[in-house]
Amino acid sequence: MSRSGSRTVVIALVLFLSAANMWAADKVSLVYWSMWNQGEPQAQVIQSWIDGFEASNPSITITPTWNGRQNQTLLRNALAAGTKVDLMDQDSDQVAGGLVAAEKAYPLNDFLNGKALDEDGTIAGTFVPGVLHMFDLNGKTYLWPYIYNTCQFIYNKALLTKAGAQVPNTWDDFLAECGALKNAGIVPIALEGDSQSYNANYFVYLLERIKGRGWLTKAATDKTGATWKDPVVMTVCKMERDLWAKGYVPADSKGYKWPQAQQTLAAGESTMELVGSWLPTELASAAGPDFEWGQFNFPEVKNGKGKLGDLMAYTLSFMVLKDTQHPKEVLQFLKYTVTKDNQMLMAKKGNVGVTRKGVDWPKNLTDAQKAAENAKIVFGEGDGLQASNAELWVKVIRDPHNDMIDGIVTPEQFIDNLVTGTRAYWKNK
Amino acid sequence: MKKHRAMIITFLLPASLLYLCFFLIPTIWAFYYSVFDWSGFSSEMKFVGLKNYRRLLLNDPLFWRSFLNSIIILFVGGFFVFFLGFLLSVMINSGIKGKNFFRAFIFLPNVIATVALTTLWAWVIYSPQFGIIGKTLNLIGFHAASKFLWLAPNNVFNSMVIAIIWISVSYYVVLILAGMDKIPTDFYEAAKLEGANQFTIFRTITIPMIWDVVIVSSVLWGISALKTFEFPFSFMSSSEDPHLYTLNVYLFIMGFGKRQPIYQLGYATAIGVILLIVVIIFNIAVRRIGGRDRLEY
Repeated sequence: MSRSGSRTVVIALVLFLSAANMWAADKVSLVYWSMWNQGEPQAQVIQSWIDGFEASNPSITITPTWNGRQNQTLLRNALAAGTKVDLMDQDSDQVAGGLVAAEKAYPLNDFLNGKALDEDGTIAGTFVPGVLHMFDLNGKTYLWPYIYNTCQFIYNKALLTKAGAQVPNTWDDFLAECGALKNAGIVPIALEGDSQSYNANYFVYLLERIKGRGWLTKAATDKTGATWKDPVVMTVCKMERDLWAKGYVPADSKGYKWPQAQQTLAAGESTMELVGSWLPTELASAAGPDFEWGQFNFPEVKNGKGKLGDLMAYTLSFMVLKDTQHPKEVLQFLKYTVTKDNQMLMAKKGNVGVTRKGVDWPKNLTDAQKAAENAKIVFGEGDGLQASNAELWVKVIRDPHNDMIDGIVTPEQFIDNLVTGTRAYWKNK
Repeated sequence: MKKHRAMIITFLLPASLLYLCFFLIPTIWAFYYSVFDWSGFSSEMKFVGLKNYRRLLLNDPLFWRSFLNSIIILFVGGFFVFFLGFLLSVMINSGIKGKNFFRAFIFLPNVIATVALTTLWAWVIYSPQFGIIGKTLNLIGFHAASKFLWLAPNNVFNSMVIAIIWISVSYYVVLILAGMDKIPTDFYEAAKLEGANQFTIFRTITIPMIWDVVIVSSVLWGISALKTFEFPFSFMSSSEDPHLYTLNVYLFIMGFGKRQPIYQLGYATAIGVILLIVVIIFNIAVRRIGGRDRLEY
């Protein structure tokens, strides 16, 4: 090759490398760690969001890692090892008690006040009421909820109709309807004997309905433990045990291993279960397409402060990592995920409730959607204690409560344990 | 000699380095982490001295429940594992036909995944609706007994111990049989000629002759029992169940969680340190109590 030819090759190479470098410099690569397993419907929807976002933003790529439900735990280890992650998702209360509490989260307030992608108004205004600020910390919002599961009685409409029963609004009505079901030879309540989380919902809701939102947290954060001695706690325990005494919960339930009780619901052998609104999706193949799913709110208690519309919710949220090098791009992606079209896709293909106003939830969750849209007060699992004081909630309240509701310990023993356990927890803090 | 020493060191070095990096150093670091209050999310760790240990030993009923569960698995489970192990070994070694078949059949639970075994016990054997035990008892007329709730919170731990014994027996049958196979048959023949019965033969010949196997098996069982994690963790289904906590499970729940993470890594490490100390004490005790002169034959 002649000298001038060699020179031309070198110049061309230098130009090419410079262009490649500039192109690479403009390209933004985001890393997303997900709580979903690859292949799950929700993961497939999120993948399609990623594909659609990348198509309209060619300079941005998002690389997902499908970790499954231990996502935050795996992320914790990875962050300690110096791995760079921009975006993650998980159950909102877990993230609130984990990464947010550890000050690893990027605040979203300013961004949420920005304009929505597909309508007039702010991004914050597109969310169903109550979900966006459930786990705010010191006035800052860190979580971007995208899936909404209500905690209600999930029930078989056909069985309720067969017994001539109706959806109850009060606890007395609820007991009456359970009685009607039992008289018709139908098991009223499905209850997982070993599911501490599900069964604790009775305790949380009854306290809320009688004493109003926040009383449970007040009792749990009283370092003397004395608030647990309020007669309301004994009343609530007796109301729960009464369901067994009256035969509304089958005696065998004590020996059920999850998901045995919900399988009886799918098989038409029991009528209702107090659980999250994911249940119809979880039981879709067992129950069949003709199963008539309904949801109703936990009933009010006479003279109680909590209202029928007050709703416990389990949300799943995205969270931006504080140390992300590309917050603008990550937030752009999040803005894209809450457009109506994308939320409709999640509702339809994921078969779940979503957090965007004006998007229809799956047919099986129509009642749940109404409850979510009309809720004036929305609170997290354990009245939010799972997020704020996970150890207290799990070890002192939730797990010992299951022994009480299953009749292994008496209400008196349970209350004594609440008092001593709460004192010990705060003494060690 | 120097040449040999150099060669020995060379061959031992890779394994020693691996042992150092993946066992010894992390063990020492565990002692370090156990004196901190640490969630694991950041490098900020708050030094708390022996507070984690004080809390564990003086103020944590769940730790003691887990400890008790581990001890029950160790001693009660161990008694039945070795009792059944010896029984099956003696039966298989008694000259029955198909000894290898029985040996392979008995070993089957050891090759099945633990998650599959927990599903088997929870849904096929113990379930109040579908369980074989309940159905069989009902069929033969024991209606009251058939209603026993094996998985109720106050029964689930004992039910789990039964399952663990069933799974574990086979491994120790194989070990004991291997020891029995080494015993020269002359001793048995001579004993029979002297008029000794089976139990006397077992007590005076078999046990002394396989004593070293018994000691090694005891140590292995002790470590396995104290470390029990897989079976209780998967037997718990979706959520934590404190009735099934062993020390290892409680450690995992506090450090990593199951359904509801608690994220107390420093505290969990302290549990690990205590578990290590318990295992060391157990090993020393077994070797001291069981030590005797080796029998040569």
